[in-house]
Amino acid sequence: MGKNKLAIFGLSVLVFFTALAIFAPVIAPYDPTEIVAEDTMGPSTQHWFGTDDYGRDIFSRAVYGARISLTVGLVAVSISISIGVLLGALAGYFGGWTDSLIMRFVDVMLSFPSIFLILTIQAMLTPNIYNVMVVIGITSWMGVARLVRGEYLKIRELSYVEAARAIGCSNKRIIFRHILPNAQAPIIVAATLGMAGAILTESALSFLGMGVQPPMPSWGNMLMDAQAYMRDAPWMAVIPGLLILITVLSLYFIGEGLREKSDVRS
Amino acid sequence: MRTFVIRRLLQLIPLLLGVSLISFFVMHLAPGDPTALFTDPSIDPIELARIRANWGLDQPVIIQYFYWLGNVLRGNFGTSYLTGRPVLAEVIERLPATLLLMIPAYLITLLITIPLGVFSAIKKGSWFDNVVTVLTFIGMAMPSFWLGLMLMLLFSVQLGWLPTVGMRDVLAGNQGPVASFIDLIKHMILPLTTMTILSLAGLSRYQRAAMLEVMDQDYIRTARAKGLPERTVIFKHALRNALIPIVTIMGLSLPGLFGGAFIIETIFAWPGMGRLGVLAIFQRNYPLIMGIVVFSALLIMLGNLLADIGYALVDPRIRYGKK
Amino acid sequence: MQSIKVAVFLLLTIFLCGCVGTGSEVNKEISLPGLEKADPNGKLVFALGGEVSILNPILSTDTTSSAVEGTIFSGMTRINEKLEVIPDLAKSWQVSKDGKTWTFYLRQDVKWHDDKPFTADDVVFTFNAILNPKVNSVRRSDYIIDGQPIQFRALDKYTVQAALPKPFAPFLVRSGMSVIPKHLLAGKDINTAKFNRQPVGTGPFIFKEWVTGNHLKVSRNNNFYRGKPRLAEIIFKIIPDANACLVALEAGEIDEAGIPPKDYRRMKSLKGINVFEFDSLVYTYLGLNIANPKFADKRVRQALAYATNKKQLVNLVLKGLGSAAYAPSAPISWAYSDQVEKYPYHPDKAKQLLKEAGAENLEFTILLNQGNKEREKAAVILQQQYKKVGVKVKLRVLEWSALLKIVNVPKGPKDFEAFIMGWSLGLDPDAYSIWHSSQYPRGFNFIDYKNAKVDKLLKLGRVTMDKSARKKIYAEIWQQIAADQPYVFLWYPRAVVGINERVGGLSKPGPAGLFLNLEKVFVVK
Repeated sequence: MGKNKLAIFGLSVLVFFTALAIFAPVIAPYDPTEIVAEDTMGPSTQHWFGTDDYGRDIFSRAVYGARISLTVGLVAVSISISIGVLLGALAGYFGGWTDSLIMRFVDVMLSFPSIFLILTIQAMLTPNIYNVMVVIGITSWMGVARLVRGEYLKIRELSYVEAARAIGCSNKRIIFRHILPNAQAPIIVAATLGMAGAILTESALSFLGMGVQPPMPSWGNMLMDAQAYMRDAPWMAVIPGLLILITVLSLYFIGEGLREKSDVRS
Repeated sequence: MRTFVIRRLLQLIPLLLGVSLISFFVMHLAPGDPTALFTDPSIDPIELARIRANWGLDQPVIIQYFYWLGNVLRGNFGTSYLTGRPVLAEVIERLPATLLLMIPAYLITLLITIPLGVFSAIKKGSWFDNVVTVLTFIGMAMPSFWLGLMLMLLFSVQLGWLPTVGMRDVLAGNQGPVASFIDLIKHMILPLTTMTILSLAGLSRYQRAAMLEVMDQDYIRTARAKGLPERTVIFKHALRNALIPIVTIMGLSLPGLFGGAFIIETIFAWPGMGRLGVLAIFQRNYPLIMGIVVFSALLIMLGNLLADIGYALVDPRIRYGKK
Repeated sequence: MQSIKVAVFLLLTIFLCGCVGTGSEVNKEISLPGLEKADPNGKLVFALGGEVSILNPILSTDTTSSAVEGTIFSGMTRINEKLEVIPDLAKSWQVSKDGKTWTFYLRQDVKWHDDKPFTADDVVFTFNAILNPKVNSVRRSDYIIDGQPIQFRALDKYTVQAALPKPFAPFLVRSGMSVIPKHLLAGKDINTAKFNRQPVGTGPFIFKEWVTGNHLKVSRNNNFYRGKPRLAEIIFKIIPDANACLVALEAGEIDEAGIPPKDYRRMKSLKGINVFEFDSLVYTYLGLNIANPKFADKRVRQALAYATNKKQLVNLVLKGLGSAAYAPSAPISWAYSDQVEKYPYHPDKAKQLLKEAGAENLEFTILLNQGNKEREKAAVILQQQYKKVGVKVKLRVLEWSALLKIVNVPKGPKDFEAFIMGWSLGLDPDAYSIWHSSQYPRGFNFIDYKNAKVDKLLKLGRVTMDKSARKKIYAEIWQQIAADQPYVFLWYPRAVVGINERVGGLSKPGPAGLFLNLEKVFVVK
């Protein structure tokens, strides 16, 4: 029960942040990329959370940053879930050599130290916001693939799948129409956690200067910029840090709530 | 068991080939080449072309790959462009430092997360559970570059208890084994703490979830119904089963640990392999990148193999090699 | 519940930051220790920002490696605080009237660190190794003039003669190349020799230890020919993260660190650290690709110069620690001249020029390399400044090697519009490789700058030996380039270095650094 409350709380936070992101131009008092005041000013009535090292309004940047960070999380996770579900479903449903081939590929991908894989692909694509999403997406689908394969292995033996096959449904139909809806729950849980992971990965990429590029704000690159000023302007870090924390916590609570709900149903 | 291990070891060969093939091509598709390091107006571009040819970079990528592979099969991983030294020597030199951080971080994480996860699960919804949840998430959401520097400011500058960076006290002359060991431990504390805090959240969450799931199972209810003391139920029946998924997760978290090590090695000036690898990528030092990727992939695979063996140890139902 | 969580995080952040808050602002004088307190067993700790790759001066290409090499090796000549070339391993030298034959007379009291005598053969061996195409030395072209190598030979044990195919003024500076020992390297593959990790030189310090990725040690050379060094040991500690490096300086674990502008005020107020400032031979610029139709018209380039508020750039990017740049030379160079068009900040004039050129709706992309905070900041600020005159700028951040791949592609026309980079200038004003039209597309004239007058003067500058005549030539070159404005020159940074108060015997602050006479440096107990 407590879990569900937390899940609802998480969901409302996320909805709230999404609203911030969508209505950023209305909410943000300043242009997030414009130099509007002296640099590194502390919080004041004009600039609620102070200004950054350029003299830009931190509150406005955080609001626009929500747009970018949430989009990065959402798109990256959509990519990883799509690849993971497709490959996992094929492997689990067909078995045999299809399965071996796909799962060996998964093993290969899982053997790379993640940072090298991300960096080399990122170097190939050059860093911009779209590529950040793509790179995080294509380097984080392996867990989902394993998970989905497991579900398909279980479900394909169930009698209703047998029945569907007996009445001549195509493989494509069985995979996507019959089995997928029943494997939904763990996939959605994985997606919420994956989105939290993607937001954190973007901030790690920012450390290398390979994340979302300036002047666009993301919570990750705002934190990275703040690192150099942690002693002279500590307020620069508080807002992006808090936003990342709350978002990650919310996503986790949602995931937990969903997991519990799906367990109860089964 | 033995046949299982041998079979798994043999499977490593195609996996390593796959890893090397993918990284070789991705690497060469990335724009730029190692001579980019030499931009200085006094260097004639003709010189750069000459050096490139000396390195064999004027050949097609596929030929370069087979050339590389052929050398590796003969035990030669090539020489680093920048230092002119054998790649193998450079990698092996850096490996101990990385392992020195990774293995203890791994073990400490395990030692903390298991009890933490178990108690959180038992006391689900209590203040203890909530505080643990929040603290571990703060650890997870706080980027390592941030946390590391904060710890350094607090413990090295403000309190003066611990050294800031590096692996040993460079001013000390030849110390005895005990003194140098203490010195090493002192240098390890901050990076190790940072690394542990970062990986705490994920694992303790998994442990908690696994424990919760197990506690709902029929055999636990039966055990309770039999009137066994709660302590026995939890530690003898529940924990053992809840450890199984953790072993798998530990194996899966290895690549991330390798990646995370890079930032920590940079912040704390720790002479490990992660730092070398990222630098090699930026410098397009191809032979070194390949050496590091293949080596870390091998380590990750071996780690996974160990996890699988551990799996068999904690789960009496699994017997490898009999199937 | 949630509010408690928020409060915990806030508290943690503020606690950790607050307890290390900045000290009170005191602007204190530099206090240097007296020589009488020098510690005969003193050890100095330098920080290096990157890995040391190789300790062989003819092969290394990175500043970290050269920093260490500078303590171990020495060359025939060196520079002093005024950036003049002075004798080192060579006692004196003379140039023939035609400027083609240079004779160096070497010191006879010099020994290698392994006690073998240093002779003219070593010098000749060094230059021949650089010129050997099989050796991966990027310095090779320094000793090739119009396709012909300089011939080095030993006239006797202590006399070296260099025969140049034609007069070449920059050669004097280049004669300072560090010398490597023939007896240890002859007949070996220099690219992979063990020597490169256990170097033997003639410098003030002897190589002692290299723990890869962690630190290097060099110890006093008691037989050093310029006098016995006062320090017993120098340690180079590798600290890749710039912020961590400052923390280590503050904690007293290292003795010297470069200080970024943002930390200047705080470092200056710290007890126990002397902060030195001096000008450096570096400039940062916005390069405009003239081969691109958008920038083919000189008026467009001049308009951008007028639209650039250099004062704001210096204030925001460098926190005032630098000055606006107007020409491709630096004020501290002897060949500098400020008789150039300066394009003072004037947005209206910029708009008018753009209108005249029919480029009111100019839009372009600035490329810059990832990881350089200053250039990134400059780009973001330029984007704002140019917006005020109606020019739309997009930014594209690339990895260093990816950026070079674009601007340094050996075929024209090159596919880019503008980029931000910097040049660090050599001691000799020769700028042939950057501005001569033959250096496009293969070369460092990335932007296709072409001016017949400049071409001619650049060639003349190289073959003229008389300093005052050269000064005039270069003044004319700078003037013409500023008029053409192929780059919008942005700034000259001031170098700021923090040094622990226990360090003494430093040379006068200047672009050559504070450690020119390393043998005189000491630390107190």
